[in-house]
Amino acid sequence: MAQGVNQKFNKRASILLIIILVLGFGAAMFRLGFLQLVSAGDLQKRSVDQQLSDTELSAKRGTIYDTNGKILAASASVWKVVLAPVYFEDDTERRIVAKGLAEILELKEEDIYEKTQQQSYYVEVKRQIESDVREKVIEFIDELAEEHEIYSTVYLLDDYKRYYPYGSLASSVIGFTGADEQGLAGLEYQYDEVLTGEPGRLVTAVDARGIAMPFEYSQNIPAGDGSNLVLTIDETIQSIAEKYMLQGIEDNAVFNRGVCIIMDVNTGAVRAMASVGGFDLNDPFTLSKEKEAEIQKLPEDKRADARYEALSNMWRNKAVSDTYYPGSVFKMCTAAMALEEGLITEESTFTCHGYYTVAGVELGCHVRDYAGSHGTQKLREAIKNSCNPALMQIGELLGIDLFNQYYDAFGFSERTGIDLPGEADDIYFDRDTMGEVHLATASFGQNFAITPIQMATAVASIANGGYLVQPHMVEQITDSEGNVISTTSTEVKRQVLSKETTAIVCDILEENAVSGSGSNGYVAGYRVAGKTGTSEKKVDLNEDGVQDYIASFCGFAPAENAEVVCLVFFDTPTGGAYYGSQVAAPVFAQIMSEVLPYLEVATQYTEEELAELDTTTDTYIGLSVDEAVTAAENNGFTTWVKGEGDTIVAQMPEAGTKIPQGGNVVLYTDTESIKDTTTVPNLVGYNVSDVIYFASYYNLNVSISGMSNSATSTSYSQSIPEGTQVSPGTVITVNFSASGGTD
Amino acid sequence: MSENVRRRVQTPPNAGRKPAPKGQTKKKKKMKFFDIGLGLDMPFCLLVLVLLTIGIIMMFSASYPIAYAETGDSYYYLKRQIIFAVIGIGAMIGLSFVNYRIFYRFAKPLLLVSYLALILVLFLPGVNGVHRWIGFTSFNIQASEITKFCIIVFFAYWGTRYADKMQYMKYSFVPGMAIFGTTAILLILEPHFSCTVIVFLLILVMLFISGMDTKYFILLGILVGAAVALMWATGLLGYAMDRMDGWGKALEYTTSEMWQTTWQTRNSLYAIGSGGLTGLGLGQSRQKYLYLPEPQNDFVFAIVCEELGLVGALLILVLFALLVWRGITMSRKASDNFGKLLGIGLTAQVGLQVILNIFVITDWLPNTGISLPFFSYGGSSLIMLLAQMGVILSVSRSAKIEKR
Repeated sequence: MAQGVNQKFNKRASILLIIILVLGFGAAMFRLGFLQLVSAGDLQKRSVDQQLSDTELSAKRGTIYDTNGKILAASASVWKVVLAPVYFEDDTERRIVAKGLAEILELKEEDIYEKTQQQSYYVEVKRQIESDVREKVIEFIDELAEEHEIYSTVYLLDDYKRYYPYGSLASSVIGFTGADEQGLAGLEYQYDEVLTGEPGRLVTAVDARGIAMPFEYSQNIPAGDGSNLVLTIDETIQSIAEKYMLQGIEDNAVFNRGVCIIMDVNTGAVRAMASVGGFDLNDPFTLSKEKEAEIQKLPEDKRADARYEALSNMWRNKAVSDTYYPGSVFKMCTAAMALEEGLITEESTFTCHGYYTVAGVELGCHVRDYAGSHGTQKLREAIKNSCNPALMQIGELLGIDLFNQYYDAFGFSERTGIDLPGEADDIYFDRDTMGEVHLATASFGQNFAITPIQMATAVASIANGGYLVQPHMVEQITDSEGNVISTTSTEVKRQVLSKETTAIVCDILEENAVSGSGSNGYVAGYRVAGKTGTSEKKVDLNEDGVQDYIASFCGFAPAENAEVVCLVFFDTPTGGAYYGSQVAAPVFAQIMSEVLPYLEVATQYTEEELAELDTTTDTYIGLSVDEAVTAAENNGFTTWVKGEGDTIVAQMPEAGTKIPQGGNVVLYTDTESIKDTTTVPNLVGYNVSDVIYFASYYNLNVSISGMSNSATSTSYSQSIPEGTQVSPGTVITVNFSASGGTD
Repeated sequence: MSENVRRRVQTPPNAGRKPAPKGQTKKKKKMKFFDIGLGLDMPFCLLVLVLLTIGIIMMFSASYPIAYAETGDSYYYLKRQIIFAVIGIGAMIGLSFVNYRIFYRFAKPLLLVSYLALILVLFLPGVNGVHRWIGFTSFNIQASEITKFCIIVFFAYWGTRYADKMQYMKYSFVPGMAIFGTTAILLILEPHFSCTVIVFLLILVMLFISGMDTKYFILLGILVGAAVALMWATGLLGYAMDRMDGWGKALEYTTSEMWQTTWQTRNSLYAIGSGGLTGLGLGQSRQKYLYLPEPQNDFVFAIVCEELGLVGALLILVLFALLVWRGITMSRKASDNFGKLLGIGLTAQVGLQVILNIFVITDWLPNTGISLPFFSYGGSSLIMLLAQMGVILSVSRSAKIEKR
């Protein structure tokens, strides 16, 4: 039995050994082998994922410059507050951080607390914080470490914020960005990819508290900053356009904003594109106070929709997104088609009875309301009179097919392809069912809708000798270091008209601007050509059932070898006047009178103009009183010496100012007298000679602008308001227009 | 069967024994406390020292980032562990010269000590509600370390004392379960679930090699199943349940809470997997950078796997296996039953802890705190472990002396 006990013991010891070694160690080895060979890839990936802190580095968004390098949109350095919630050890820590950050960043504590519960190394709390807030956050991070021993949970990263130095300038063109600097509208949206750049990454191996491990394990992929845009827009021209457009909107109580496009006729480079009134790009989500008040009056459930509608309306770039009946401006196109086809000549005559009957439908002429009929006119007169029956007859000569062919050739049936988002399609007749009446109305620009940019491009083709060019906004794209990546070259789509045709049309349009329906668009000293347009917005009668109008003017200068085309367009003027000649033409003239000198377009004066031509003042400072008076009078100025001294120490206007012949030059002989001022009188509502008289009476100078050579010319605005205290000799620009509305 | 039993019952306790027990009793009278002389089992001794050296190096490698983060001294754990190792080696050598039979005499008082320690610890201030340590300010000893040793000693004594009655239920199964039951209650109150498991397994091992009848193991299996089911149902598992939440699902966490609970196990798996076949290289672990909590303790082997790869890990396991093999085969040759049982029991304890530790760090067992012999940081357990190695060496010496 002892043998048995010993045997049993030995047997059991062996069994135990086998169990421990084979089952126990065997299983452990198998398990390790499985984990380290089979699952190794997956586990390794998981561990690397948690060890690598992957931080996105914001790329600096590209700058938008105007054609002269002025900054229209730029990103400035700010900061963002980021959480790494994986490092929280317990809920108390989460609460402390959420509470602290909520106070500093003015956010809801609960929202931050929710973010602290994510298992992540990177949760954005707030973006685009400024340096004062940043200081507070840094203090808070220190406090967390020192007082609560909370580490690495909150940190700051570089971020950028978009600034628009010119505020509302070209707002609907430039567009704006959202919270993540993503382009939401305009060029910011159109060129988002170009501007955005490549966000970088900072990958570091970190320990569980977020501190770098002692490995060469850090990889910095720097952010590739976005490229810059150099626009064809010229800030000066844009400002001029917006200034007068805003004035025009105010003067004519324009209900639904206005558009101004100024474009280089030869290259298609858009120099200015204004949808006025715009909005502040730095604050694009704030409506005007009036609009906001309007929305607040609505029932609560409708406010959000109303606000959305109001915002999209405010952001809308009417120059490309709105369609309108081009009205009489289109008549130049109809005339050009027929001339090009040889169906009419300059000598062709057209008879107006105040109406014209097409396929049994009587279509009226605007002349019927005040003069009955235009009678028989040559082409030139017909255009100058903006005579609808004449144009209907021309349309008839063309026929539907030919008219449509040219309609396509002018580019009205296709989008211009301008580099802006939201370009609208034209609204045209169904070509299969298009009839004589449609053709008749279309020939004077009614019942079909095109975009302002299409109209401007088509007019440019008449101005430049017949070539349809591709309008564009971006001149150049440069990289973050300023190297040119691409330059937009002029793209001629096709030749629409021959030089001979355009020469005739330009000549007629020039005469129209001087003495025809477009005479309010005349700019003294420049050979301006242009055509007014008044179109009925038949599509949407307003609430009172009153016809809404669009008043427009499209012209170019100089008439021969044109440089720029300018289209002015007011949507629904409610101030009484609604004709293009009353509302749009004067604004066109004001804009061009500043833009053309800026562009250094050569002046060509008429003889009458030469008589009242502005003369440039010389420097009289330093001369004796007698010498100065002689010199100024030789220049054709009236002088007024102020002060007790013997030599001239100052003069008003300053040297190099252009004032009319016979204008006042004030010569100061001591500094005391410079402080004297005079009060600006009312200069509005008078004819040219009265204005000059009043001005000289107050020792002021005037610069005459607009349509001043007509007998009916009346001043309608002055650059310095009545009652302002100014130095004697100050130059006040006074704008004139001929009264009486013509289409 | 019943006839068989009856026949056994009729057998006198000491009938048919070899003269050896006589010699043993003889020797007992002449027993010397210090038996200086050669005869230490060199392979076993070498294995202990090799494992200890590798263990300390790896513990240092795993611990220096956390040591730096916690104390500012990267060598904090290393320095202490070396001191413990030196004390432990001293204890080992010392005890190898002590005649292990002295424990035979003190088996019953030692069991009492075990109970007292387990009761005492409950009245001492715990850490986070866990009462495991009998503390002095700088040196703590886990009550359970004492318990494990005492229980092995007691059952070695019991198996020797009642070697011929082990087939009876009241000499094997009953005392085994009585001692396990009472100890387990105290351990669960601490709570110390993993130690409960080890104590259970150790008692099983001791009863098994003492010759308990196979049918009682079957009965035990049924009882254990019922007990676990009962504990589960009553929620007595509380703490252990909590630890078991997410057991085996460390990689498939769904909630934030679970993610926290399984953090240690998950990062252990990451570390092991990252090691692959050949490892990242000594000192190159990334998971030890505060991802794996307490890499110096129970999870030190995960870092070993990460740094030395499967090759290194298996090599170390082979060393452990050799140690177990050597310890058991050597103890089998001990001059007396008590030595055999004691040596095998103490060796089995090392083997079980290694296996359970690997199971825990690989998410095969719930994370309940089983340290890895020679590797895990801890003064009391290392000194205790080395002391036990000393006892095994003492047994081996007796075997060799017998041979001579």
